[in-house]
Amino acid sequence: MKTQRLSRRQRALLDCAPISQAQVRDRAMRSALSRANGSEKFVTQQNFDRAVAAVVRAIPIPAETAQWLSNKELIAASPWTWKKLARNPAVLSVAVALLVIAGVFVFNFLNRINDFPGSASARKLLSVAASTRSLVLDPVNAEAGTLSDLFFMKHGLEHYDVPEEFANFRTIGCRVFDDDESRRIAQIWVTEKRMQFFLFPAERDAKTGTVLHFPGWRYVHQEGWTGAVKEEKGVCFMAAMRGTQKDLASYLAKAGGKPPVPSR
Amino acid sequence: MRVIFGKSGVPDRKQNLSQLYRFCFLMLGDSGKAQEVFQDTLREAARRAAEGVLPRESFWLFREARWRCLEASQSDVQPEPIELEESEIHPRAPSQIQLIDPARLAVWISAAPDPQRTALALFYLDEFDYREILALTDLKLSELSRLLAAGRRQFQAWLDARISAGSAV
Repeated sequence: MKTQRLSRRQRALLDCAPISQAQVRDRAMRSALSRANGSEKFVTQQNFDRAVAAVVRAIPIPAETAQWLSNKELIAASPWTWKKLARNPAVLSVAVALLVIAGVFVFNFLNRINDFPGSASARKLLSVAASTRSLVLDPVNAEAGTLSDLFFMKHGLEHYDVPEEFANFRTIGCRVFDDDESRRIAQIWVTEKRMQFFLFPAERDAKTGTVLHFPGWRYVHQEGWTGAVKEEKGVCFMAAMRGTQKDLASYLAKAGGKPPVPSR
Repeated sequence: MRVIFGKSGVPDRKQNLSQLYRFCFLMLGDSGKAQEVFQDTLREAARRAAEGVLPRESFWLFREARWRCLEASQSDVQPEPIELEESEIHPRAPSQIQLIDPARLAVWISAAPDPQRTALALFYLDEFDYREILALTDLKLSELSRLLAAGRRQFQAWLDARISAGSAV
């Protein structure tokens, strides 16, 4: 071995030189081997190592051990399966979290998709309808359509008109009150299935103050109550009753009005 | 190491479990004990695999087998620590080595103190490169180099002594 040309590390590497040099991946080892290539001492060492390795390869495998070698399933790692993955607590937690997030997202999306200008106010008024007793109303026995004049003359409420679909319903009572945003709300109680009507200002653009119109009838739902809302001349009318959208829709159909926009 | 664990972490049994047995044999110098350690190691691997906790570490089987071999040999009669004679290896060595019975070689290697025993066994398996042996034995390059070089010289001296004594190796 040409030790005079080799560093200490290279000499150390040559002591550990691979017996089969077919593939030497280590760069430092390759360099040391190329320097020692052909050196008599290194060739002797390599021949020595190959001879010993040949004896090691000749170590017989006992029959009992050979049986273990043929058992291919002995240490087979359990195969990757969706079932196994699903049982992993971390994966399970992430999946549940994603489902909840997706559920909230879908819920909000469905709520939003049926929103219209004034839908929030309409929902609040459904809560009012659910809690109102007829005693708080001024008794009025008339056709609902005739109360427009009353609202205008007594309270100065312009365009607080009951749509023709509900104009012929007999009333039990009515009142005008201010909501928590000081808007004037007209409430009418009718005999028909203890239905209630609400008239309230339509929502306006916060910047321009213009009325945010929406076409046709829209439905809102709150605490078992359903409301059919229509906007006209800056005033929203809502017919509210305890029940489903189907119950209200039948009144609109009978009246020959345009079918409401489907809701959730 | 050429191929010990496949992509799935499963050892290539055909090639490397044979080498695992040979490693045990070189470490213990006794076929019966080697088989026992070999089987215990595989049982442990199978148990861990069944529980899904088989280490992904490439050399786990050999590391496990090494400690089992060292543990098994602790109960044996321990050789007295003596300074072995050393001779420079010479070109005739391969022809001398060819005459050696594998069992004799295994007895000689297994009599070496650890970590030289492990270093020689792993090196002559011709299965691992030096970096892998360093990782398996926790040795430094200079230490591995010293142990292998000394091992060669000691084995050469033993061969020479055998030949000069005229005994069959």
